[in-house]
Amino acid sequence: MLMGCSDADDTAGPLDGVIYCSEGDPISFNPQLDTSGTTSDASSHQIYDRLINFDPLSGQIVPGLASSWLVSKDGLTYTFQLRRGVKFHQTPYFSPNRTFNADDVIFSIDRWRLPDHPYHEVSGGQYPYFSSLGLSNVIADVKRINGYRVELTLKQPDSSFLANLATDFAAILSAEYAQQLTQAEQQNRIDMFPIGTGPFKFEKYKKARFIRYLKHDNYWQHDLAVERLIFDITPSSSQRLAKLMTGECDAIAFPAHTELDTIRERADLKLDEKPGLNVGFWAFNTSKPPFDNPKVRRALAMAIDKNTLIEGIYLGSAVNAKGLLPESSWAYQADLNDVNYNPVMARQLLLESGIEDGFTMNIWAMPVERAYNPNARKMAELMQNYLNQVGIQVNIISYEWTAFRERLKDGLHDSVLIGWSADNGDPDNFYRPLLTCSAIESGTNRAMWCSPEYDALIDQALTYTEIEQRNHYYRLANKLIADEVPLVPIAHAYRYRAHRQNLEGLLINPFGAIRFGDVQKQ
Amino acid sequence: MMLAHVIRKFNLLILTLLVLSILSFMLVYLFPGDPLVNLTGLEDIDQETYQRLTVLHGFDKSYFHQYWYYIRGLFDGEWGLSFSSGLPLANEIAQTLPASIELSAYALILSLLIGVPLGFVAGFQHHKTTDYGLLTASVVAYSMPIFWLSLILILVFSLQLGWLPLSGRISLLFDIPHHTGFILIDIFFSDLSYKGAAAKSAFYHLIMPTASLTIVTAAIIFRLTRRSVIEVMSSTYVQAAYTRGLSGFQVVMRHGVRNALVPIIPLFGMQFAVLLTNAMIVEVVFSWPGIGSWLIQAINQRDYPAIRAGMLAVSTLVIMLTVATDLLAKLINPAQMGTAHAES
Amino acid sequence: MPNLDLYQEEFHPSPLVHTWLEFRKSHIAVLGLWLLAFFIVLVILGPLIAPFDPLLQNPNAFLVQPAWDASGSIRYLFGTDSLGRDLLSRLIYGCRMTLGISLLLVVISMLIGIALGAIAGMTRGVRSSVLNHLLDSLMAVPTLLIAIVIVGILGIGLVNSMWAICLALVPQVVHNTREVVRAEMQKEYVLASKLDGAKKFHLFFYCVLPNMYEMLVVQGTMALSIAILDISALGFLGLGAQPPSPELGVMLSEGLREAYKSPWLIALPGSAIFLMVLAVNVVGDGLRSALRNRLQN
Repeated sequence: MLMGCSDADDTAGPLDGVIYCSEGDPISFNPQLDTSGTTSDASSHQIYDRLINFDPLSGQIVPGLASSWLVSKDGLTYTFQLRRGVKFHQTPYFSPNRTFNADDVIFSIDRWRLPDHPYHEVSGGQYPYFSSLGLSNVIADVKRINGYRVELTLKQPDSSFLANLATDFAAILSAEYAQQLTQAEQQNRIDMFPIGTGPFKFEKYKKARFIRYLKHDNYWQHDLAVERLIFDITPSSSQRLAKLMTGECDAIAFPAHTELDTIRERADLKLDEKPGLNVGFWAFNTSKPPFDNPKVRRALAMAIDKNTLIEGIYLGSAVNAKGLLPESSWAYQADLNDVNYNPVMARQLLLESGIEDGFTMNIWAMPVERAYNPNARKMAELMQNYLNQVGIQVNIISYEWTAFRERLKDGLHDSVLIGWSADNGDPDNFYRPLLTCSAIESGTNRAMWCSPEYDALIDQALTYTEIEQRNHYYRLANKLIADEVPLVPIAHAYRYRAHRQNLEGLLINPFGAIRFGDVQKQ
Repeated sequence: MMLAHVIRKFNLLILTLLVLSILSFMLVYLFPGDPLVNLTGLEDIDQETYQRLTVLHGFDKSYFHQYWYYIRGLFDGEWGLSFSSGLPLANEIAQTLPASIELSAYALILSLLIGVPLGFVAGFQHHKTTDYGLLTASVVAYSMPIFWLSLILILVFSLQLGWLPLSGRISLLFDIPHHTGFILIDIFFSDLSYKGAAAKSAFYHLIMPTASLTIVTAAIIFRLTRRSVIEVMSSTYVQAAYTRGLSGFQVVMRHGVRNALVPIIPLFGMQFAVLLTNAMIVEVVFSWPGIGSWLIQAINQRDYPAIRAGMLAVSTLVIMLTVATDLLAKLINPAQMGTAHAES
Repeated sequence: MPNLDLYQEEFHPSPLVHTWLEFRKSHIAVLGLWLLAFFIVLVILGPLIAPFDPLLQNPNAFLVQPAWDASGSIRYLFGTDSLGRDLLSRLIYGCRMTLGISLLLVVISMLIGIALGAIAGMTRGVRSSVLNHLLDSLMAVPTLLIAIVIVGILGIGLVNSMWAICLALVPQVVHNTREVVRAEMQKEYVLASKLDGAKKFHLFFYCVLPNMYEMLVVQGTMALSIAILDISALGFLGLGAQPPSPELGVMLSEGLREAYKSPWLIALPGSAIFLMVLAVNVVGDGLRSALRNRLQN
């Protein structure tokens, strides 16, 4: 013990660090390659920066590595002014000889954009987020104006484009490092021994055990990062909680619903909850009669009491959903009217539509747990009860998850309990994949609903960049959804994180992965 | 006479290791999948590399050749790669095996320090209350499933009282460079500035796993010692010593201790094997990065090269230890030629 | 208390009865026997006693506390688990599985072991000698390790783990059988039978085997306690029985998830395993003492 106290600069020493209990292994340290939250958590905000970021509190887009940007009047050209003096990581395997500049931006984007880029196929060649949005087709060109200015040209205007550049996946890598690796013929090290500009630099990774990060002393934004950041990989949620309780971890990922009370009861732990950017809903197969009749759909929506569902299934960790968007989205409409529980009216509407007593329908329930619906089966059973009271018999159907999604795509269902988690804060990320005509083919439009009017509204919204103008169209879309009821939004589930009381600055980022950059321990 | 015995044991050891290695080689074929993939741990091999590897490992020749190359590879340190991590198996085992040995060694030493003296006490107090008391305690201790015992220790000391950590070998904040794999030694010989804090952390992490193992093993060692002491004390030459007028203490020192201990030393060796196996379970419960949790994870993930290498490593270690303690016992007392039975 | 020896002339207890009388002298041993009998009754009558199906999930009754807690109900005597399955029923079926399977494995391994041991004990020659030595070194390896190795090769699952433990128990039985057989073969009464012209087979069944019963019983109890611990260990590690099976080791590992709110989920299955093993060990201890005392008198 005396040995440890002899050095004066040792008091912070080994104890200055934060340990985070994460739920699994990342597949690599490049968030471009994967959409899984585990990979993003491990890399995106720790090792890298992006051109622009989402402010975790307001959801607005704020400058990152780009200090400012301009969008041309026709919405086709985006010019980014890059920050000067941003240093890359200095590690035993790489020493930067220059600061961040336009070449790095171009490299990072072209790597996934151009199939014949020398680094495109490295580590598998899959860039799932960008390809699902077809961004390589949206971007026409990326041009270097000078060392600190980059110009991106689009083929058509897309006002969600900036939001996509602010997601976790749009990390900026080091072109100089890539070059060095090419010369040494070790290209696949770029994603396992990463170099970025973020608050932490990669030190060591032991699969299924830990990831070690060290403070990046020359981080451009601030000097708040702790000396050491460690991800303690612990797949079992009860073990994560146990480690949190003993203090072996300072923060944990994904506490289970059953553990929330235990955390709340303890004074030395803090539970962070925030409505997540997700929505759980009940979708009707509008291509199948009688669910093609909006009156019938409205009646069914009125027949169930959403509050009981939220209490019984989400155990209180969700908030009633009136529309597609949760409160954290800037396009959230607070004054949206909700469908009220009204079994009498429901019965009446059903009779008017020619639905007799004893009509049978099925509800497909997901077999897996998801944040937006932790127990679809149980929910279906509760709904079965309500629907019985208005004279409707319900069969509950479920399959193994992959088979389930396949069959949904074929439109074999009458209705389904499922949901959606968004990847970025842009409302288009909800409206487009869930209810547009083209989404029927890609399988995300579970209601099989195709309304040219709706599609037009959504496309229109993208052509404007002003929030107010876009909001106008989203409100019209909301009204359309409320009138037609292709789906019944049920709940926006909370996202949880737990940490020890003495950890400051750890915010839940509804728009992305975990950030430890400015987290401090008292 | 003694030398002949040693040679015989040595031959036996070689024979057993040979059988083990043959079995381990056979696993390459017994596991599902391509044998060459199982051997090397490389997946997605292209045609050219496949051909090269076939020649390299003698797969184009007879089984005998293949086995020979396999053995040569083992001695060269070429153990293949793990399916799940892609890292060389020799490295992974070199890092995890010492962790298990360290845990087992501390537990064994503690168990001997507790079990043997108590065994003597109980043996001398045969049929008296002390004996019954200790005997009951020992039955309770070794009837406990060790995974349950560990869980209870965690529930009480980690979660309720908050005194001890429940996972790992040391707080992750410390990064101890790997030299021997024995963490206390590595800390001592490293040139880090915070050795004291690190040693403290390692010590705290060692307490519960070692305690679990010690409770069960000490009980067994206690019983073995006690039984041996009782037999010796009731044997004719001891009775004769009493009639000759030797005091209790003299009897104990001259005849009791040595004659009681010697037959059971080989059994202690066997206990190390049991200890190592229990350590594997304890490692899983406490997330101790030893070969036990590594091997069990490999089995769950169907990492065939890892399973093969891990099993060979553990079995070899166990058998060598058993033979070593056997020889040790013979060395101490060449007169004792019969084998003791594991009766207690 | 009258000395039994006084009545030796009129009362010749057979070895079995004599052993039982010696056994009865130890109160603890008798208690252990009662406990063991209780568990065996559970094994046989289990399905009749259990109030619920152990696999039946009740989504309206997750994590109900046991009956003695304020929020519990008599319906679920020991409460329910996270899927609403009654803990009492699962415990009963779990004991049934763990003890029942262990008994089965012990019987099978003893049969195999005795057969092999008898052959090994009665034959001579280099081949048998080598085999014997190999088996001896195998005996040094703990059963759980052998079982893990076999499961590693065959794959995870209840049936594989059963084979694994069964095979792992055999070497010990073979060794002990062989020793006893060899020792008996040296004895004079066997020599006498041989001179009478008895064949090896006859020798074994009529001369040697009757003298082996004690060793077998002792061996059996030891093997049983090892089997119970190994089966539940493999279940706990996820290498043997799989969820949703109510095997006690599996229940223990499943119960970890809710151990804070409902410590019963790990306290009860663990206690069940402990009590079973304790009962077997106490009975085994009692038997060994009884046999030793009988031989001394």
